[in-house]
Amino acid sequence: MHPINWLIVIGWIGYIVIDGVRRAKGTREIEGYFLANRSLPWWAVGLSVMATQLSAITMIGTTGQGATDGMRFVQFYFGLPIAMVILGVTLVPLIRGAKVYTAYEYLERRFDARTRSLTAFLFLLSRGMSCGTIIAAPAVVFSAIFGWNMGLSVALIGVPTVLYTMIGGVQAVTWVDVKQMFLIVGALLAVVVTLLIQLPVSPTDALHVAGAAGRLRVYDFSFSLSNTYTFWSGVIGGTFLMLSYFGTDQSQVQRYLTARSVDEARSSLLMSAYWKIPLQALVLLIGVLVFTFYLFARPPLLFNPAHDRAVRAALPAAYAELESRYVAEVTARDLAARDLTKAEDTPAKAVAAQRFKQRVDQVESVRSEALALASQVTGQQSKDVNYIIPRFVLDHLPIGLAGIFIAAILAAAMNAVAAELNSLATASVIDFYKRWVRNEAPDAHFLAVSRAATGFWGIFACVVATFAANLGSLIEVVNRFGSFFYGSILGVFLLAMIPRARGTGAFIGLIAGMCAVGAVNFGAPSVSFLWHNVVGAVTVVVVGVLLSGGRAAAPAAT
Amino acid sequence: MNTSPPEADRFRRTLVRVMTVQLITLLLLGWLQIAFTP
Repeated sequence: MHPINWLIVIGWIGYIVIDGVRRAKGTREIEGYFLANRSLPWWAVGLSVMATQLSAITMIGTTGQGATDGMRFVQFYFGLPIAMVILGVTLVPLIRGAKVYTAYEYLERRFDARTRSLTAFLFLLSRGMSCGTIIAAPAVVFSAIFGWNMGLSVALIGVPTVLYTMIGGVQAVTWVDVKQMFLIVGALLAVVVTLLIQLPVSPTDALHVAGAAGRLRVYDFSFSLSNTYTFWSGVIGGTFLMLSYFGTDQSQVQRYLTARSVDEARSSLLMSAYWKIPLQALVLLIGVLVFTFYLFARPPLLFNPAHDRAVRAALPAAYAELESRYVAEVTARDLAARDLTKAEDTPAKAVAAQRFKQRVDQVESVRSEALALASQVTGQQSKDVNYIIPRFVLDHLPIGLAGIFIAAILAAAMNAVAAELNSLATASVIDFYKRWVRNEAPDAHFLAVSRAATGFWGIFACVVATFAANLGSLIEVVNRFGSFFYGSILGVFLLAMIPRARGTGAFIGLIAGMCAVGAVNFGAPSVSFLWHNVVGAVTVVVVGVLLSGGRAAAPAAT
Repeated sequence: MNTSPPEADRFRRTLVRVMTVQLITLLLLGWLQIAFTP
């Protein structure tokens, strides 16, 4: 990468760390460290909520998915606005009004200490692991592209993030998120403009070509439990997933607990409801435009440069033969795409579109052979979806803009990790240390313990990231970790809103919910993980209500 | 829920706006599919 690009990346990381550390000023007690004294404006909290979800996986994995699979992934988010609205009228006023530090603390007031501790433990387990995969996703890509070892890549993301989160607390996390969101959205828009300028065809022709390759197919109304990306999976399964994530996951709940009032907390969530789908569509559209760009400019046979080098060294003759076939197929596809843009009437367009689609399939077939070869040589999974956008950025974006985009990828990773570390430390200190080890102590003591907990989780996440390099499709890995517990934890919070529900019902219901998800996962592996949330939540509520008997319990704590 | 009438009104208005933005986005995505996918 050009030195100017490196200067931009290093300059941005330095600026973010200094800005985050400065936020430690005036933080003398844990309410300031974990909840910013419940004083943040809704727009800052809203941007922080969005930044937390927009990880590096979105920047490299989702854009790559747009290039290879098209726009249909956007259906995954169709449940989000519905979930935000439901949370705005149910859990947000309940949890925000209870003046708690963690969502799980509320469960002790409503049920009992064991339900609180189990849900908090499940959160620590799933989030601690997923935090590692959030760092691992860009670290693996940076390692392959820049030839670094995994430890250095992990340190580049992990060390600055741990530093500003540990010292500055939630104030640093939120205000750094706000600044990084502007960088990320700015970088995405700049890439769209650059792509439109660099394409040799008009934007309308580019969309026609992308559409002919099936990349603009958004909606799939089929009902299939095994397909994650359908309209119904997104609306039903997605609503449950988002309800669980935004309503019960401390990394999200903590964001809106920092808001000035219940109303501002709701507004911060509604900001995501407004912008998540359009933003996700923009991210996918970048992938689609990169696919279109590579129709007219020769793409690499393997986007992962490490695999490219390995196959070239191990099987030079077979790889050279594949490369020559690839060049021929790519050239034929280029001509077919240009023919499609020149076709004037509908029948001619239909014929040209069919020819073009055949050429696209031929190119993909050669690429599949190359990926299989890479898999055989390296012994690793050789899906290179996550490498498409970074390669495009480094090979084709102008100097300066490439640096900004790489900084934006790092920013996205840092945002997601910082929120996770902050919430992991909060749950560790509030739900375990303060609850079970030492209830009374000066604020300075709890502040020191909180910073130590943040540092511990930072090191834990970096260690997991270093060893998580070969976990397969990273987007799914992150979602799968959560799906084992998310639905069941949501079920407990739903149960909390049912007056007759009691502690024993909630605790046994929670265990039953996780068993049900485990049974579905291992008994019917073809069922998409999105539906695990529905299974978990419904099981907890049904078992919890049945075991709670007929009498109404004490009203919910507020 | 403990929501005062003006707050509830404001929430309802925001809700309508959120859903309108989503509807427009979904329609735009639908148009993208119909207009450009043969």
